Amino acid sequence: MLSDKSFRPNIRRLIIVILFFLILGIPGEMFAAPAVQEEVIELVIVGDVFDSQGVAVIDAEILAITSDQQEPLAESLSQEDGSWVLTFPEIPLSDLHIEISHPHFQTQLIDLQESEIRTLNQDDIYQIEEVVLERQISAGFWVATFVFIGVLLLIAFELLHSTTAALAGVSIIFLTSYIGGAINPNLFILTYERGLSYIDWEVVFLVMGMMIIIAIVEGTGIFQWLAFQAYRVSRGRTWLLVLILMLITAVASALLDNFTTMLLMTPISLQIGLALGINPLALIIPQVLASNVGGISTLVGTPTNIIIGAYAGISFTDFLVNQTIGVVIALMVMAGFILLFYRKEYRKQSGGISSKLYQKLEENARIEDTDALWKSGIVFGLVLIGFVLGERIHLTLAVTAIAGATLLLVWLKPDVQRMIKAVDWTTLVFFMALFMIVGAIQEVGLISQAAESMSQIIGENLALGIFVIVFGVGTLSTVIANIPLTAAMLPIIRFLTASIPGAQSQVLYYALSMGAAMGGNGTLIGGEANLVTAGITEQANSPITFKEFLKVGLPVTYLTLMIGFLWLLVHF
Amino acid sequence: MTDMILCPTRGGQDSYPNQDRAIALAKERGVELLFLYVTNVEFLGLTAAPILVDIEHELDELGEFLLTMAQERADQAGVTSSSIVKHGQFREVLVDVIDENNIRTVVMGFSARGTGIVTENYIQGLVDEIGSKTGVEFIIVDNGEILNTHNP
Repeated sequence: MLSDKSFRPNIRRLIIVILFFLILGIPGEMFAAPAVQEEVIELVIVGDVFDSQGVAVIDAEILAITSDQQEPLAESLSQEDGSWVLTFPEIPLSDLHIEISHPHFQTQLIDLQESEIRTLNQDDIYQIEEVVLERQISAGFWVATFVFIGVLLLIAFELLHSTTAALAGVSIIFLTSYIGGAINPNLFILTYERGLSYIDWEVVFLVMGMMIIIAIVEGTGIFQWLAFQAYRVSRGRTWLLVLILMLITAVASALLDNFTTMLLMTPISLQIGLALGINPLALIIPQVLASNVGGISTLVGTPTNIIIGAYAGISFTDFLVNQTIGVVIALMVMAGFILLFYRKEYRKQSGGISSKLYQKLEENARIEDTDALWKSGIVFGLVLIGFVLGERIHLTLAVTAIAGATLLLVWLKPDVQRMIKAVDWTTLVFFMALFMIVGAIQEVGLISQAAESMSQIIGENLALGIFVIVFGVGTLSTVIANIPLTAAMLPIIRFLTASIPGAQSQVLYYALSMGAAMGGNGTLIGGEANLVTAGITEQANSPITFKEFLKVGLPVTYLTLMIGFLWLLVHF
Repeated sequence: MTDMILCPTRGGQDSYPNQDRAIALAKERGVELLFLYVTNVEFLGLTAAPILVDIEHELDELGEFLLTMAQERADQAGVTSSSIVKHGQFREVLVDVIDENNIRTVVMGFSARGTGIVTENYIQGLVDEIGSKTGVEFIIVDNGEILNTHNP
């Protein structure tokens, strides 16, 4: 017999062990009372819901109701792929109706007869035929449409900073959805969660990574140095100088970004032009035009290409292979036109420049940091290789760009504060807000209506489709900011790609890329690079007027759009 | 310190006639000439594209180059000149430079072909405000021709 003294510690140990297992929860079932096996009787009804264009309708409310009961027997929401599942604890014996509703579609009622239900066995899964919902124009549709147009106008007329305009648009959309929607359900546009789902994080992170790389590479002074070398090599032959400068800006724009390239090339080109005694705009405007077109050939060359690539899953290599030759031909035709257009200016004989001015020019075009140039050159090369090879292992471009940026930060140890400032958060916020606004017009059905209209015009004619996209988007881009336009066009292109025979090659996405970028050359307000270049030239009392830009930009736009169209037609 | 003529300029071909007028006045009065270039990056404020490089530095270099060109013209005319590049709002910078450099006369105006951003109202406002505040003489020129002279 155990004494009390020896028993108590044993009890204590036992309690501790039990508590230990209880806390761990591992043998929880050991301590649980044996479960009574209940017979679970379930009826499962599944289905899919799409819009008239075959796009899954997400967050549609699915209710199972019977004739004799007020409360729904089961309810659910449609998923990303449009599928939905209703689970019933028991098979209802009276007539069953499935009600599918969504704020931007007409409600549909599906009747299931009692006899039909009775044939089902318990635990059966009953599949309802695919449901196609018809769109309805709600008050929310008009609010979202006006917000989208309003944001475009605010940006076009520079009434507000683009980011402020986009944020204002997003705020109106959500306030209308939540406050307006509570008063009148017709005003509902989309939920905050749904809005967030429209943000393409691949784009945001790729742009962020590239910003750091661009800030370091372009900050080395390499492009100013190249411009000065172009001046030296051309030896007073202005026509040769302009061709080399166009080539530099086109390549720099393809690999980095045309806006920053023009920020750096414009001041040095102004100096060269003024030193040569020619109108500096005859050197600078051709560079802007080349920069807008040059960027088309790579995925990272323009913001619109980044958005298109991420949306359509087009790789860096795909852009390079499918666009480069077309872009090179377009640049050659553009160069021919430029030489003709500015022939009088280029014929002017330069009196040469003084040694003082030459020294000043050389000083302003020096490489700022040779060490940084080599290191950033190596890392940038690795990033480009990563872009090409990474797609084989499904390594996204954003990861490659962020890794490259990080490597530069670790290797070069630049001022981190400056680098963090180099990441232009306002641009990233602009992208995020824009994606949500485009999401809103997609939710309310504006995009699908536009897609339907375009489909009626184009029919099944692929050549006509390419033509309409290239020239339509190109023309609109001459006056409308091409980033929102491209973002809004993507779902339309997806629909057309699925509906036009032969478009599965994704040719229409390339048409969108060409139209959006080349159209930016049409007017001074067509592209950010144009405006910033004009801002800088004005600093040297050589302003680019709207009319002056239009005279050369518009013909170049339609010439290059034609080349782009013909290239896509031949290549695909 | 001798009296100086201040010539604010944006450089470029359309500014040459006004620069030449300032050079001629400096020669006539036997005083030194100070060229001023003011950079202002406010035009970048509305752009959605990221500003990833030090554009102020680039514009400073542009300004220095433009003023080197202006100084060469002064040298050729036998006028001693210097130059200064500043950032900020033109109106405020102008007052600072006048105060700091013993300026007695400012030569400024409209550039050839009307390409400058300066308007008649702007000039008048500037002359009224700065003239009364600093007591300097303003000589307003248009494409190299003297339009009027404002003495305090």
